[in-house]
Amino acid sequence: MKKTSFIEAITQALYEEMERDERVFMIGQDIGVYGGVFKATKGLLDRFGAERVIDAPISEVYIAGGSVGAALVGCRPVAEIQFADFITPSMDQIIQQMAKMRYRTGGQWSCPMTIRVCCGGDVGGGLYHSQINEQWFFSQPGLIVLLPSTAYDAKGLLKSAIRGEDPVIFFEHKRLYRWIKEELPDEDFTVPIGKAAIRKEGEDITLVAYGLMAHRSMEAAAGLEKEGISAEVIDMRTILPWDRETIFESVKKTSKVVLVQEGTKTGGVMAEVGAAIAEELFDYLDAPVSRVCGLDVPAIPFAPPMEHFFLPNAEKITNVVKKVLEY
Amino acid sequence: MPATKKAAKPGLKQVGLPEETLRGLYYNLLKTRTLDERFRKLFRQGRFAGTYFSAVGQEATTVGPTYGLRDDDILASSHREIGAAVTKGIPLVNIVAQVYARANSPDKGKTHPCHYSWRDKGVFTPASTLAGQTVVGTGCAMGFKLQKKDNVVVAFFGEGATARGGWHEAVNYAGIHKLPIVYICQNNLWAESVPAHMQAGIENFSDRAKAYGFPGITIDGNDIVLVHKTAAEAIKRARAGEGPTLIECKTYRYYGHSEIDPADYRREEEIEEWKKKDTVTRAERMMMDLGLLTDQQREAMIEDINHEIDEAVNICEKEKYVEPEEAYNDVYSKYFPVRRDEY
Ligand SMILES: Cc1ncc(C[n+]2csc(CCOP(=O)(O)OP(=O)(O)O)c2C)c(N)n1
Repeated sequence: MKKTSFIEAITQALYEEMERDERVFMIGQDIGVYGGVFKATKGLLDRFGAERVIDAPISEVYIAGGSVGAALVGCRPVAEIQFADFITPSMDQIIQQMAKMRYRTGGQWSCPMTIRVCCGGDVGGGLYHSQINEQWFFSQPGLIVLLPSTAYDAKGLLKSAIRGEDPVIFFEHKRLYRWIKEELPDEDFTVPIGKAAIRKEGEDITLVAYGLMAHRSMEAAAGLEKEGISAEVIDMRTILPWDRETIFESVKKTSKVVLVQEGTKTGGVMAEVGAAIAEELFDYLDAPVSRVCGLDVPAIPFAPPMEHFFLPNAEKITNVVKKVLEY
Repeated sequence: MPATKKAAKPGLKQVGLPEETLRGLYYNLLKTRTLDERFRKLFRQGRFAGTYFSAVGQEATTVGPTYGLRDDDILASSHREIGAAVTKGIPLVNIVAQVYARANSPDKGKTHPCHYSWRDKGVFTPASTLAGQTVVGTGCAMGFKLQKKDNVVVAFFGEGATARGGWHEAVNYAGIHKLPIVYICQNNLWAESVPAHMQAGIENFSDRAKAYGFPGITIDGNDIVLVHKTAAEAIKRARAGEGPTLIECKTYRYYGHSEIDPADYRREEEIEEWKKKDTVTRAERMMMDLGLLTDQQREAMIEDINHEIDEAVNICEKEKYVEPEEAYNDVYSKYFPVRRDEY
C-alpha cells in the first residue's frame, strides 16, 4: 500500500472536509494557485474555487479575526498562518476574540474554526522561519492546541478540529512534512482531541513529548532499550487541554519521568506538565521530574551547528534519562 | 403669508422619511438618552461595579444606522453603542442586567457593563482591544458573502480606533472583496484624552475609505434624519452586493471617556457649543414642527420609558449574581470539561 506523507495527510484532511461540509472554507497567504509554500493546499483551488480557497492579503490580523467573524455566522473557517513566526499580529484576535468568544458571551456565541500554523526547527529555516510557539497559546483556556507527530494523527486530528465546536490552533511541524510517511486507512477516520498516545510501552521511565520531539524520544527509547532500559513514550498530540490521565497513569507506573519539548524551557508546556506531576504525584515519584528543552534564548539560531546545539535530540534525552535513573 | 410660513417648516415630504420611521428614530433616541443618563446616575450611586461609557450626545450615530436592521443582520459594536443595543432590540431588562452583571445578564456576568451581546438579535460582544470587533465584524460580512446570504453587518468604532493596524487590515479586506458591511465611525473628537487631530493627519476620517476603494462620507452625526438616510442607503448598497461604505459621523460626547474621567482636558466652551447642536433636542423640534409630537406626548413617552427602566432596574437589583462556580463554564463546548481546582 502507498505510504502517505505527513503533508499529504493534511492535504487529504482538508480536501475531504471541504468535500464533506460546504461550510468549510480556507483563507491564508499563497494557498490558492501556489498551493501554499509547502504545498499543503495543492489542488484545493482547482477543486473548490477561489471563493472557498481564499488567497488573503498579507493581513495576519484579518486572517484570524475575519475567520472568527465567519465562524460566528455559520462558516467553518480553516485559516493558515504561513509560519508560526508570523502569528504575532494574529495574537490579538486569537487571544482576545477567538479564545474568549464563548466565555464573554456566556456561551451564546462560539468560534468553531481552525488555524493551521506551520512551525518548528531542524530545517535550517533561519531564526524567523523555525520558531515553535505553542506555549504562547497553551496558557489560554478556551483554545484547543494540537501538535501531531504522525501522518495518521495529522489527518485525524485536523478532521476533528474542523468538525468540532471549539477554536483550534493546529501546529504542523515542517520537519515532519516530508520525513514522516505511513499507510493510512482508506475509510474516513478521526483522532479524538484531548487524548495522548502511548507510542511505546515501558516500565522503567516515562518520556513525555510531542511533535518532532516525540520522534527524538522514540529514538532515545530505542537506544535505551538496547542497554536494557525500558522507557514508555507518550506523545501528547493535544497540547491543550492536555491528557492528564494518560500521563499520570504512566508516571504512577514508572515513578520516573523526563519531559521533552522543542521550545525554550522557561514557561514552556512541560513546565506546567512537570509542575502538575510534582503537585499531584509526589508520593509516586522516585526521582525529580526532569526536562529536556530548547535553550532559554530568544529564538532558535540559524547557523547549523548552533541550531543543533539549541535543539533537544536523542543523545541529550538519553543523558538526562540516565541521570534520572541513577538518582 | 401662509405659503411662506408653511415653507419655513419642513413637511414630511422634505424630510424624506415615513412618519413611522421618524417616530421610531425619535423613540429610540429618547430611550437611549434616558437609559444612558440613568446608568450614569446608578453608577455614581455605586449600584454597579466597573465603569460606564456614556454616549450621551452621540445617540443619533448609533440609533440612525441600526434602526431598520434585520434581526439576522450583525451588529459589530464597540464600547459606546448603547444606542445600537437599544435600537437593535436587546430586551431592556437584559441591557440593564449586563450593566449589573447579574444572573440574567446575557454573558452571565463575565465581561463588562458596556459589552452587550444578544445572539437572537445578531449582536456579538466587543472586546476592549479597540477595533478588534471591526475585524470580527468584517469576518461576519465575509461569512455572509461566502454563504450567498443578503445579510449585512453594521460596524461601529470611534475615530481613535481607526489608528489601529487591525482596523486597516479589516477595511482593506472588505474593499478587496466588496463585503456587505457598513462602517460607522463615531467621531466624537476625543479618544479618551487625545484629540482627533492626534489620531490621524487628515481632517475627515472618511477619507480613509478612498485608500481601500470604496465610498467614504462625512456627515453631521447629530442629525438623526441625515444619519439614518445615509446609513440606510449604504446598507441597501451593501445588501445588494455593492460593497462597503465608511460613514464618519461628526458628533460629541458630553461627559468623560468613562464615568471615572472628569474630562478636564476639554474646554467648557467646546461642550457648550455642542450642546447647542444636541441631537435629541433637534429631533424633538423637527417632530413638533411636523406635528408628530407634542410636549405632553413627549412627557408621556419619557414617563413610560422611565417606568420601563424602573422595572428593569428593580428586577436586576433583586436578581442574584451567578454562583461563582459559573466561572468554570463557557470555556469550551461540552466535549472538554474544565479542570476544577479546589483550594
Ligand atoms: C488596543 C487598545 N488600546 C488602548 C485602549 C484604551 N482605550 C479604551 S477606549 C480608548 C479611546 C477610544 O477612542 P475612540 O476610538 O475615538 O472611541 P471613543 O471612546 O471616543 O468612543 C482607549 C485609548 C484599548 N481599549 N484598546
